[in-house]
Amino acid sequence: MMSQRRGIHLDQSELLCSKGCGFYGNTAWQGLCSKCWREENQREKQKQIQEDWALAERLQREEEEAYASRHQRAQSQPTITPFSKFEERKTKEKSSKVNTVTKFFTPSTKTPPKKDATNVEVQSSSSPSSSTSRHSSLDSDHATREFIDFLRPLKPGKEIFKQCRAFTEGMVYKRDMSADELSECVQDFYQNLSERLHSQFKGSTDHVESIMDEVEKYMMTHLYKEVFCPETTDDEKKDLTIQKRIRALHWVTIEMLCVPVDEEIPEVSDSVVKAITDVIEMDSKRVPKEKLACITRCSKHIFNAIKVSKKEAASADDFLPTLIYIVLKANPPRLQSNIQYITRFCNPSRLMTGEDGYYFTNLCCAVAFIEKLDGQSLNLSSEEFELYMSGQVSPQWPQATGAFSCSSSSTALSQVHKRLDLLTGLGERQERVMEKARKLESDLIDWTDEVEQKVQSVLESFPAENQSPTAGTASGTASAAASAIDSDNVENELLPPPLQPQVFAG
Amino acid sequence: MAAGGTGGNSGKTYSFKVVLLGEGCVGKTSLVLRYCENKFNDKHITTLQASFLTKKLNITGKRVNLAIWDTAGQERFHALGPIYYRDSNGAILVYDVTDEDSFQKVKNWVKELRKMLGNEICLCIVGNKIDLDKDRHVSVEEAESYAESVGAKHYHTSAKLNKGIEELFLDLCKRMMEMAQAEERLKGNGASQSASSRRGVQIVDDEPQATPAGGCCSSG
Ligand SMILES: Nc1nc2c(ncn2[C@@H]2O[C@H](COP(=O)(O)OP(=O)(O)O)[C@@H](O)[C@H]2O)c(=O)[nH]1
Ligand SMILES: [Mg+2]
Ligand SMILES: [Zn+2]
Repeated sequence: MMSQRRGIHLDQSELLCSKGCGFYGNTAWQGLCSKCWREENQREKQKQIQEDWALAERLQREEEEAYASRHQRAQSQPTITPFSKFEERKTKEKSSKVNTVTKFFTPSTKTPPKKDATNVEVQSSSSPSSSTSRHSSLDSDHATREFIDFLRPLKPGKEIFKQCRAFTEGMVYKRDMSADELSECVQDFYQNLSERLHSQFKGSTDHVESIMDEVEKYMMTHLYKEVFCPETTDDEKKDLTIQKRIRALHWVTIEMLCVPVDEEIPEVSDSVVKAITDVIEMDSKRVPKEKLACITRCSKHIFNAIKVSKKEAASADDFLPTLIYIVLKANPPRLQSNIQYITRFCNPSRLMTGEDGYYFTNLCCAVAFIEKLDGQSLNLSSEEFELYMSGQVSPQWPQATGAFSCSSSSTALSQVHKRLDLLTGLGERQERVMEKARKLESDLIDWTDEVEQKVQSVLESFPAENQSPTAGTASGTASAAASAIDSDNVENELLPPPLQPQVFAG
Repeated sequence: MAAGGTGGNSGKTYSFKVVLLGEGCVGKTSLVLRYCENKFNDKHITTLQASFLTKKLNITGKRVNLAIWDTAGQERFHALGPIYYRDSNGAILVYDVTDEDSFQKVKNWVKELRKMLGNEICLCIVGNKIDLDKDRHVSVEEAESYAESVGAKHYHTSAKLNKGIEELFLDLCKRMMEMAQAEERLKGNGASQSASSRRGVQIVDDEPQATPAGGCCSSG
């Protein structure tokens, strides 16, 4: 009917937005203009979002209160809690050098949503969080919201959320437990919950798995800081050991490992660079499943490199050496910590039978191989191996290449090409490092500003103490020193009276 | 698992991990590609990789998800075996019937597996390449009696001719199911759940899915 009226004169009022805002309305938007329609439509959504935020904020508050109360127990001066917390974080991070650098590489620590930024400005003096903890708590909030959104349509959603939250909060108090005990706790929780989802809520296998993925994401986002590379383990020491080891093996070539990829093919060298990037990226993820996804992506790039080079699907015989090569090239940060963390806190079914689990297992194999590797495993004599390890001789220009049984034709020219490719790869990596360094720099500037602001606000809120002479000496001017001497205090009274100059006549 | 206990056996999905072990070039990759993709020496590549393949089966009304893990067979990777076969429900130990040495390697694997995993793993010893019977260097009797002596089952296959492969995997799955059910009964009797059993076989109650939402077959 409406369509037949096209071209017929319509009363102007029929065309206008029924809200009377003066714009034209549209039947598709129930007679409203786009602006009013959006407002109307968004109101419902907005309400929902605000409710979620309220919940997330409450959770956050609870968490911070729990945190603060733990600190009050440790530190007897509650008034300086914000700073002591700050200090503690700093020293904790200083104690693990690897930590500090890589933490800033986490892409998620960048650009907090506007909402929170304004919040912090308004109540900067009351907000106790440092910039790092603010970012991480934002991540946690975000994870909480996503978890709630995911659970909302599920019948047992509320129940699942309550259990997960209670468990996660409880874990915070178990930080003195050994890593194995923590792992045991989390794994028991996963198992009990998935059993209940199967039996009580009659979920299908796939459905339960997808719920468990979200559970893991929510819980591990919250627990990451507490349970990744915990101080109760020697994970960090192992990280440094393997890192040094890989650096010492810089001379290992594709030929020695019998890696079936030809990096002279552009697509292959491209896949190699991508694989390296992916395995490095693993460290920036918080959730075990997301770390696994990095390894899987890395593996797929490796398969592509093999497939393009060999023109056939990669078998394990091809895959493992190539993965070892990639790990040697990448020297991924905190490799052992990441492996341990995944082993301890990932959903077990994913590790046991899943595809991700297969690639992860191969990564574990690669690391074990690198740790144990000797001359024999590279088709070298032990003398050669020692020479290369000591850095006295470099195998770049092979004298007699009989040992490289798998190398096709390793002429000097192809070596040069390989070096060049490697250099371009390295150049790209350096660029990425620079990019991240710049980010780090801007983060640091933000951080200093924030500290300055806080110091200022504390100085303002405690003006009386600032007047004390010891606090004032920072300026160290002569007049300040003079006034200190002149001021009457006990010490001055103990001084002998000033000497009077005596004049002798004659 | 504890809650599911010994309840009705219909509507369960078993997830099994099976590792392929054996010397290089005996035909491990060929066997699994034949089984999962029905391909042999096929240059027309459809899968990106042949190192991790899955197969879904339905055995007497029960669903089985089989994950087959290829392992690197080079000698220098031998020491990594335990990392690969940890938590596996079955192992397929492959030798080449024309290669005496490869059979010796299988014996080494058997010793190692029994030492590390005891009887918690189903062992299959597979003599592959029976199409080359005229060059056979491992006698049928010797292989079969050896298998029996170590509690393993022996199979003869040819990836080239697609012989004996379906039977091998089907039989293995049945044995792994039996083992899983025995373990389940044990748990139903109130045996304590150790960490190892938790990370062991996975059996889950499962409602028949109304929606046959794709996602079958290999996820590679
Ligand atoms: N004649 C014959 N050759 C086979 C058979 N299975 C594998 N091969 C060949 O043996 C070689 C090694 O096979 P592959 O699957 O790569 O062995 P893997 O190293 O154990 O994975 C390849 O050339 C295959 O074509 C078979 O049943 N019969
Ligand atoms: Mg193979
Ligand atoms: Zn309007």
